[in-house]
Amino acid sequence: MKLIAGVDIGNSTTEVCIGAVGENGYFRFLSSASRMTTGTKGTLPNVLGIKAALEEAMDRIHQPLSALDLVRLNEAAPVIGDTAMETITETIITESSMIGHNPSTPAGAGEAVGELLFLENIWKGKPGVPYIVAAASKFSYEEVAARLNQHIPELDVRGLILQADEAVLVENRLSKKMPIVDEVRHISRVPEGKLAAIEVALPGTSIRMLSNPYGIATLLGLNAEETKSVTPIAKSLVGKRSAVVIRTPHGNIRENILPAGEIVFHGEKEANVNIDAGADKIMETLASAGEIRDIDGERDTNVGNMLRRIKTSMADVAKEHEGDSEIRITDILAVDTLAPVEIAGSLAGETCMEKAVGIAAMVKTQHLPMQKIAERLEQELHVKAVVAGVEAVMASLGAMTTPGTKLPLAILDMGGGSTDAAVLQPDGSVKTTHQAGAGELVSMLIQTELGLHSRTTAEQIKKYPMGKVESLFHMRLENGSMQFFEESIDPRYYGHVVLLAPGEMLKVEEDIPMEKILEVRRDAKRKVFVRNALRALEIVAPDHDLRKIPNVVLVGGSAEDFEIPEMLMEVLADYRIVCGRGNIRGVEGPRNAVATGLLLSYLG
Amino acid sequence: MEVNEQLIKAITKAVVEQLQRGGAQPTTTSSSGPQSLAGKTRMRPKRSYEGAVRAKQGTDPKEVVIGVGAAFQTEITKTIGGIPLDEVLRNVKAGIEEEGMVSRVVKVLDTSDVGFMALQAAKLSGSGIGIGIQSKGTTVIHQKDLYPLTNLELFPQAPLMDLETYRKIGRNAAKYVKGEKVTPIECTNDPMVRAKFQVKAALMHIIETEQLDPDKGMIVWEGAK
Repeated sequence: MKLIAGVDIGNSTTEVCIGAVGENGYFRFLSSASRMTTGTKGTLPNVLGIKAALEEAMDRIHQPLSALDLVRLNEAAPVIGDTAMETITETIITESSMIGHNPSTPAGAGEAVGELLFLENIWKGKPGVPYIVAAASKFSYEEVAARLNQHIPELDVRGLILQADEAVLVENRLSKKMPIVDEVRHISRVPEGKLAAIEVALPGTSIRMLSNPYGIATLLGLNAEETKSVTPIAKSLVGKRSAVVIRTPHGNIRENILPAGEIVFHGEKEANVNIDAGADKIMETLASAGEIRDIDGERDTNVGNMLRRIKTSMADVAKEHEGDSEIRITDILAVDTLAPVEIAGSLAGETCMEKAVGIAAMVKTQHLPMQKIAERLEQELHVKAVVAGVEAVMASLGAMTTPGTKLPLAILDMGGGSTDAAVLQPDGSVKTTHQAGAGELVSMLIQTELGLHSRTTAEQIKKYPMGKVESLFHMRLENGSMQFFEESIDPRYYGHVVLLAPGEMLKVEEDIPMEKILEVRRDAKRKVFVRNALRALEIVAPDHDLRKIPNVVLVGGSAEDFEIPEMLMEVLADYRIVCGRGNIRGVEGPRNAVATGLLLSYLG
Repeated sequence: MEVNEQLIKAITKAVVEQLQRGGAQPTTTSSSGPQSLAGKTRMRPKRSYEGAVRAKQGTDPKEVVIGVGAAFQTEITKTIGGIPLDEVLRNVKAGIEEEGMVSRVVKVLDTSDVGFMALQAAKLSGSGIGIGIQSKGTTVIHQKDLYPLTNLELFPQAPLMDLETYRKIGRNAAKYVKGEKVTPIECTNDPMVRAKFQVKAALMHIIETEQLDPDKGMIVWEGAK
């Protein structure tokens, strides 16, 4: 009996599968394992990950590594994916002219207009002039309230801006009701004597006047020209609970369009598109350019730098190639997104959702140095290692082991770096394609749109369903149902959105409502996978007609996701395609297709 | 430097010696058993809570009950770090008020263990959230259905706390009432604090424990008159 291992090196995971072949050709699968890919796919550092995965798999059948007779590596598709993100607009405040932020507890309600006056100068105030008073945190809430109460009979104080988080405390002690905005960090930058408008919305609603250019014009008495220039202010105040807008004669807010630059496609036809045009236009241009040889960006622009960065990061793979050091990008997937960016020159650290574009690029090289990996593996394990079989063919073979499939069979391999599609015809011919953009792009979109600090959190949000811990004994799940607990939930999770990973709960540290996370997560997955699935299947389908594919098997890491297969099923149902998550060998789920295919191909 | 039992014993001994040499009033230290206390001078005269009003069970769902120690604002007026207790209480209450919730102060006379003080305050609270503050400044936020030792938040290093922290404690307690996400309060941590303040903490705790009056339970507290 011989022990054979199939090894599949992917962009993010390395999968192995072990089987035994008897003398009479009798064949049996024994175990499998998967590990993180070490280093960039197709480079020598991969060997570490392969060894670890092999050890784990052999451990399960209680055999030493040396018991292996043969290791079969896949001829990995020579594509490597990478992602990058760049904002294409930027809001800059010249002279402080607005504060629009969401202190958790503003006080009062309504809007007010008045001349700005610092609390220390309140004795200078003239009767009859409407004022908005600004108080620094050196005054305690009792002092602020006492001083104002003393002056309120003769002065017309309409609103209050506080530096400390004390709006409710001051309001409870004031003799007159007025809107109060607090937590304005840089209060010293507020220009005294200027006209300001302040608005606080009732709980559960957002401001209406200051998030509307005409509202600002009404309150501050602006002409048509000035109203036009406050539009970015209004835009950035949408959805806030409180805001202050200050009229400064020369100050303004600009929405800078950054020199985002053009993407140049070198294909059957030369085509270029400005990145401002948005993702749809970029993808359209890409399609019109035909088969792509390389993609470039305009020099010294954001997109130019972005694509160069991707190419540079691929340089280490290129170095291992002989005679081919040129890195070429052969496909990109552009996705429109929004990124919260802190506004330059802001008073309270407010952020503005800026337009951004996320790009996944795929680098195609002539040939990955798989042979070298095989040699190194052979040296280290003292087991014969060979490179056998093209990835897509192997994946198709593996996918065939899913119960209920027949030829012609299409597979959609959704991994971390790229989305690959292949169609296996009954005559054994295979047509394949590789598309940029997969799980990693989704993680990046989630991270930027939610403004998360760590990529790990974004990946966890992508992977697990959520719930909100509403009390120590119950939790509301993302589908609206309630889950109760006998024992109290750890108080550390109280009030948090938690991710329900198997066996544990993971906290989301950022203060983002569950509904928002849900929306961003689903949107990101749809933007990347639905678009890519259709794009890829169209290329491999006979006559580029999706209806000619009877069934699609989803494999790869992203097919394990709890909602992506359902999303694709919905879309592909329109084309009468049977589509579902693969179940390799009836036990593995969508994983291990390539490794399984490698073993099957050994049998011939 | 390692903080172990011997070291603490040595420090205790040195402090007690110095106190006695300096002509301080004879004190009992934590090392002597309860029997030997009989007949000896108390650290502070027992305060009478005759006529005090027993605190009622709250019904307001916006309420946070603050349970203060038996010696709070009476025998002890400053925390172990020297912050006036009036200010501590004022800031905790301000933190609660800023979040739109209501505070109520009671004095806990049944126990001087801060975990139990907080739990009892929580059980009295209409919202089920309570804060326990020992006179030396140690603070716990508790919820009525939790076990005494699994509280919501504990602030054990009283000597390192400042008024800003107490304000935030009030704010966090109010956020628990509202079911909002609570951001943990940053605290400074100093491993030497225990060695430096062990004796003072023990003495303050004894002063507090001496004033217990379990028959009275929890009483309405509006500061020392």
